[in-house]
Amino acid sequence: MTMLALPSTREEAWRWSDLSGLPALAGAPHRARRRPAALPWLDAGVRGKDEPEASRLLFVDGVFQPEDSNPGPLTIGSVGSSAHGHPLGKLAEGQGWSLTLGPDHATPGRIEIIHVATGGANHLSGRIVLADDAQASIVETFIGDGWANRLTEIELGKSARLMRAVRLAQTSGFTSLRDQANIGEGASLDNIMLGAGQAGSRIDAALTLGGDGAFAEMSGALLARGEQRHDANVVVRHAEPGGTSRQVWRAVTDDAAMASVAARVEVARHAQQTDGEQSLRGLLMKRGATINLKPELEIFADDVKCAHGATVGELDRSALFYLASRGVPPVEARSLLTHAFIADALSRIGEEPVRDAFIADADAWLGAAA
Amino acid sequence: MMLQIENLHAEVDGKAILKGVTLSLGAGEIHAIMGPNGAGKSTLAYVLGGRPGYRITGGSVRFLGQDLLALEPHERAAAGLFLGFQYPVEIPGVSNVQFLRTALNAQRKGRGEAELSGGAFLKVARAQADALGLSMDMLKRPVNVGFSGGEKKRNEMVQMGIIDPKLAILDETDSGLDIDALRVVGEGINRIMRRPDKAVLLITHYQRLLDVVKPDFVHVMADGRIVRSGGPELALELEREGYAADIAA
Repeated sequence: MTMLALPSTREEAWRWSDLSGLPALAGAPHRARRRPAALPWLDAGVRGKDEPEASRLLFVDGVFQPEDSNPGPLTIGSVGSSAHGHPLGKLAEGQGWSLTLGPDHATPGRIEIIHVATGGANHLSGRIVLADDAQASIVETFIGDGWANRLTEIELGKSARLMRAVRLAQTSGFTSLRDQANIGEGASLDNIMLGAGQAGSRIDAALTLGGDGAFAEMSGALLARGEQRHDANVVVRHAEPGGTSRQVWRAVTDDAAMASVAARVEVARHAQQTDGEQSLRGLLMKRGATINLKPELEIFADDVKCAHGATVGELDRSALFYLASRGVPPVEARSLLTHAFIADALSRIGEEPVRDAFIADADAWLGAAA
Repeated sequence: MMLQIENLHAEVDGKAILKGVTLSLGAGEIHAIMGPNGAGKSTLAYVLGGRPGYRITGGSVRFLGQDLLALEPHERAAAGLFLGFQYPVEIPGVSNVQFLRTALNAQRKGRGEAELSGGAFLKVARAQADALGLSMDMLKRPVNVGFSGGEKKRNEMVQMGIIDPKLAILDETDSGLDIDALRVVGEGINRIMRRPDKAVLLITHYQRLLDVVKPDFVHVMADGRIVRSGGPELALELEREGYAADIAA
């Protein structure tokens, strides 16, 4: 067993993290190394005659499962990724999957990746390189139990477009993601996360708008109950002029759970006409629950539009009574209002089937509270 | 008797607001409660609807033979009570259609009736929206968000039409309405509620709604009690002479 060096909560970027379960998971064996009977593919494999077969990858404990996969343009093997010293990301350097698309290329349909953990720890890299005007859409889903640790590098050429949606749905254990992206001129990255399982998580992202007029979205809904902890730490850096970024996070905590979002926008000195927006909101379902929101702006340019807001509250009592007065029972009223709250973030997923699936997952989470 | 209020006392934040309200409504009747600001009219509506924050300190309310005060707000709705809000609440992110379908089906479920399908519900909703001059596009928008004052009140009536209650308690449904909207809303009340098996308690400041919705009984509320009751002529007298005599009393 190798020594696991984890960051301390004394470090500002990790102050709300709970990594205390990781050493035990890192030392534990994988239990099964087998895939579960049912896998939550969005595309159930039913497709029209002329529709191309979608790409899918299945990893169990970080190990590629060729019999359940259809890699298409994706390759598996050494990725050559670098986490630049990020304490969790560096554990995932090396092996993984990659997608490289040439100019003007698009993947035939959506790419789906399912990561199954069966106890213990697994580390894996992903690398997405889209050349000018290339386009891809990726959905990743984490299920099972254990510690799944991922490093994902994203490189977008001029006017390339990547849509990525990630669901954290493990029943226990921990999921940690480190995303690093460089977004070229006029390119756009939509990165949307949903934490709706029962495992703890750390979402860590450093996105750089490295070309004129680039767009970055990093948003998500984090739902936690019991003793669960979600922790997101996002830095969006506007390095070039005319960029637009959006960070819309919604956190819901019940019982004694905690969700934390630290979202930072940095605007470099010559990144004029930057348009950055952060909307961080938290909803406490019980008094013992906690939400930490920390919007941060660091602006060195002068012609910049940056809006940010952070609020934490409970469900609106007058809305609850209004619903009740029309006959909606309390449990349904709470779930209707909470659904609406979460939808702020999830409705930003552009592709309808993906959006619907994520909202259904969130609703299932809410329903389990009833 | 549809609704029987006996010597009802209630307080908010330790301050007595209702100080012995006694009032009975029979099926087929429309009652109006008028009175000066601060008389406790809206408090009476909220207490009957079951809004949290009000403490009942005495008296009883029976609704169709049941102890109304023992029911949760949503159970009161399922039992057939509808509360029309003076200030309808905005609910971002929840569409009117979704809200009303959830509400109607929860009520039906509570009464042991089958739930309405999406199509059947939309048909009912469209008919009520048409009658009140609201478009289906508006019903697809979030509840009351971006609605004008008049549209919110029409929306209350659309909801009442869809839910089809036994008893409607309408708290200043006429406030903020222009003459045309007042007529549309008033006609809505007549169409939906003027039935032998239903009753209405209209809370209003002004005679003008009562020109459209003709009450069978008019009551004056002052300082937490009903101080005077009479027929429709009482409303006209109050319009002429004001509440001075009742407040002094």
